[in-house]
Amino acid sequence: MAAGLSLSLWLWRSRCRALLSRPAGAVRAHRGLAAGPEMHFGFQSVTEEERREKIYQVFENVAKKYDVMNDSMTLGIHRVWKDILMHKMNPCPGTLLLDVAGGTGDIAFRFINYVRSVRQRQLQRKLKHHQNLSWQEIFDSYQKDQFNSLGDSQVVVCDINREMLKVGKQKAQHLGYSEGLSWVLGNAEELPFDDDKFDVYTIAFGIRNVTRIDLALQEAYRVLKPGGRFLCLEFSHVSNPLLSRLYDLYSFQVIPVLGEVIAGDWRSYQYLVESIRQFPPQEELKAMIEDAGFFKVDYENLNFGIVAIHSGFKL
Amino acid sequence: MAAAGGLRRAGWRLWRGRAVVKCQHCPPARALQASAALRRAPDEHKKEPLTSSSQQHFDSPPAGHQPEQEPRGTHHSYTGQGGQESEDYESEEQLQHRILTAALEFVPEHGWTAEAIAEGAKTLGLSVAAAGMFHSDGSELILHFVSECNTKLSKLLEKEQKLVQLGEAEKKPIDEFLRDAVEARLRMLIPYIEKWPQALSVLLLPRNIPSSLSLLTSMIDDIWHYAGDQSTDFNWYTRRAVLTGIYNTTELVMMQDSSPGFEDTWRFLGNRVADAMTMSNTASQVQSTGEAVVQGLMGAAVTDPPLEKSRTLFSIHTMLSGLGYFPLLMFGLSLEQIHCTDEREDLDGF
Repeated sequence: MAAGLSLSLWLWRSRCRALLSRPAGAVRAHRGLAAGPEMHFGFQSVTEEERREKIYQVFENVAKKYDVMNDSMTLGIHRVWKDILMHKMNPCPGTLLLDVAGGTGDIAFRFINYVRSVRQRQLQRKLKHHQNLSWQEIFDSYQKDQFNSLGDSQVVVCDINREMLKVGKQKAQHLGYSEGLSWVLGNAEELPFDDDKFDVYTIAFGIRNVTRIDLALQEAYRVLKPGGRFLCLEFSHVSNPLLSRLYDLYSFQVIPVLGEVIAGDWRSYQYLVESIRQFPPQEELKAMIEDAGFFKVDYENLNFGIVAIHSGFKL
Repeated sequence: MAAAGGLRRAGWRLWRGRAVVKCQHCPPARALQASAALRRAPDEHKKEPLTSSSQQHFDSPPAGHQPEQEPRGTHHSYTGQGGQESEDYESEEQLQHRILTAALEFVPEHGWTAEAIAEGAKTLGLSVAAAGMFHSDGSELILHFVSECNTKLSKLLEKEQKLVQLGEAEKKPIDEFLRDAVEARLRMLIPYIEKWPQALSVLLLPRNIPSSLSLLTSMIDDIWHYAGDQSTDFNWYTRRAVLTGIYNTTELVMMQDSSPGFEDTWRFLGNRVADAMTMSNTASQVQSTGEAVVQGLMGAAVTDPPLEKSRTLFSIHTMLSGLGYFPLLMFGLSLEQIHCTDEREDLDGF
C-alpha cells in the first residue's frame, strides 16, 4: 500500500514536472475561456463535456469529507478567509444573498450570523431611543422586531452538485439554521433565477470549477440588482518567488497525500491543486469581470496572493 | 518680497489643488451604462450590455476627465468611436456623489455609517450592496458633506461680494465679515449636530487627515479671499492660523451648546473675533510700552541715586520689572510683524 502510494506519487510528480515544462503558450490556451472544445481538467486536456462530468464526480466523491479536508489542507485558515469575505461584504439587514457553488453552506451560515448580530445592534439602538414612549408602544415594537431577527435578509445557496447540497442541508439542520435559507440546484453558467433579483452574489472557491467562467460572470451580472455586488473568493497567483516555491511544494507534496489519507481519494485533490495553477491570475480575472460589465472592479490579496477576493459592482 | 509672497501663495494653492483634483490621477473613469433604475435609459442600451461595454472603454479615456469639471449630477453626452452617441452616461464618481448626497438625509437617524449610505442608495433605486463601494466607517460621506458645505459657503460669499460690487449692499467691516462667514458655515452643521462629534472623530483618523486638513484650509483661504486679504508676507499665514483657531474652537463650543438657537456659540464667536482684532491693536501699544521700559532701564543704570542701598533696591526693582516685561516685550515685538506697515493695506486695525 505504501509502496503503491509512493509509486503513484512519483508517477504524478514526474508528470507534473513534464507538464510544467510545457511551453507557456500551450498552458495559457488552457485557461478559463474555451478555445475550442479542448479544455483543461487540472493538467490534462479534455473536452467541455468531459470536464463538467469529471468535476461533478470529483465533488460527489469529496462531498462528505469536504469540510474536514478544507480544515486540514489550509490548517483552518479558510475560516479566516471566509470571515474576511463577510466583513468585506458588510451586509445590512434586508440583503438578498446568492451564494453560488456554496454547497456546504459556509458562506451562507456566516452571512446569517453577521446579519443577526447587526440586527441586534440595530434593535438595541432603537430601544435606547425609546425612552419617551409608553410601555404599550415599546411592547408593540419589540413584538414586531422579535419576529424579524434577520431583518428580512435571505440567502439562497445554489450548487450544481446534489451531494454537496445534501451535506449542506444536513449541516444546517445540525447547527440550527432554519430561517432565511434556501437550497437550489443550479448551474452557475445558467442560473435558474430572474433578472435583477439579488443584492450580493458570492462564489467562494467555486469559480475555478466552472467550465465557462465568462458565462458564469454574465449570469452573475444578469441576476444582480442595479447597484448589486459581485464577490469572488478564490485561490490565486502568488507573486513572491520564495513563497511561491514553498506553496508549490506544499500543494503538490502534502495535499494529495492528505486527500488519500483523510478522504481516500488523492486524484480529486490532485485535480484541486492543479486547477489552482490553471486558474487565471488576479489581473486577468479582474479583466474578465470588467468584460462582463461590472464596475469598480478591485481585488484584495490575502496571504500574499494565495487567496484573492475580487469585487465588482453592477452600476 | 512680493514675488516670494506670490510664490508662497501659488504653492499653497497648488497643494490644495492637488488634493482636490486627486481623482484625476486615478485610472480613467469608465462611462457607466445607464440602467433602468438610475436613469430612464433608451431601450437599445439595455439590449446590448456586452458589446457596448467594450466600446465604452474607448469612449471614456478621451472624455474621462470631463465629468470632473462638469457640475455634479448633470447628464452629458459624448460621441465615442464609431459615431455612437451615448446619452445618459455618468462616471462612477458622479454616481458616488449622488449616492452620498442622497445618504445625507439618513444621517440624523443612522449616523455617519455605511447604513446611512445603504439607505441613500436605496432611495436612488440601487441595491443596498452599493454601500460597499465606500469605506465602512463613513469617511467618504463626511468628507463629501464637508466639501459640499464649503462649496455652499463660497457661493454665498461670492453672492455677497457681487451685491457689494453692484452697490446694493455696504461693505462690511472686517470683523463683522469674518463673524458672519464663520456663523454661516457653522449653521450648515445644525441639522447634523447630534452626530457631528462622531464625524469629527472620524475626520481625525490618520487616513483622513490629509483630506480633512486640505478642506479646512481651503475654506479658511476662501473666507479670507472674500474678506479682501491681499497680504503677501508673514501676515498671510498668521491671519489664516488665527481664523482656523477661531473656527475650530467655535465648532467645539457648538458641539456642547444647548442654548436656544445656539446663542452662546455666536456670542463666543463674536468675542473671539473681537479678541483677534484687539490683539493686533495692542501689538503696537505693547511695542511702544516695551521701548519705554528699555529706556527706563537704561536710565536707571546711568542715574546716580542718593544711597547705595536704595540704588541696589532700585536696580533690582527695575531688573525684576524688566524681566517681567521681557516676555511681553518679545511678544509685542513679534506681534509688530502682524501689524503690517504695507501702504497697500486697506484693512483697518487687523
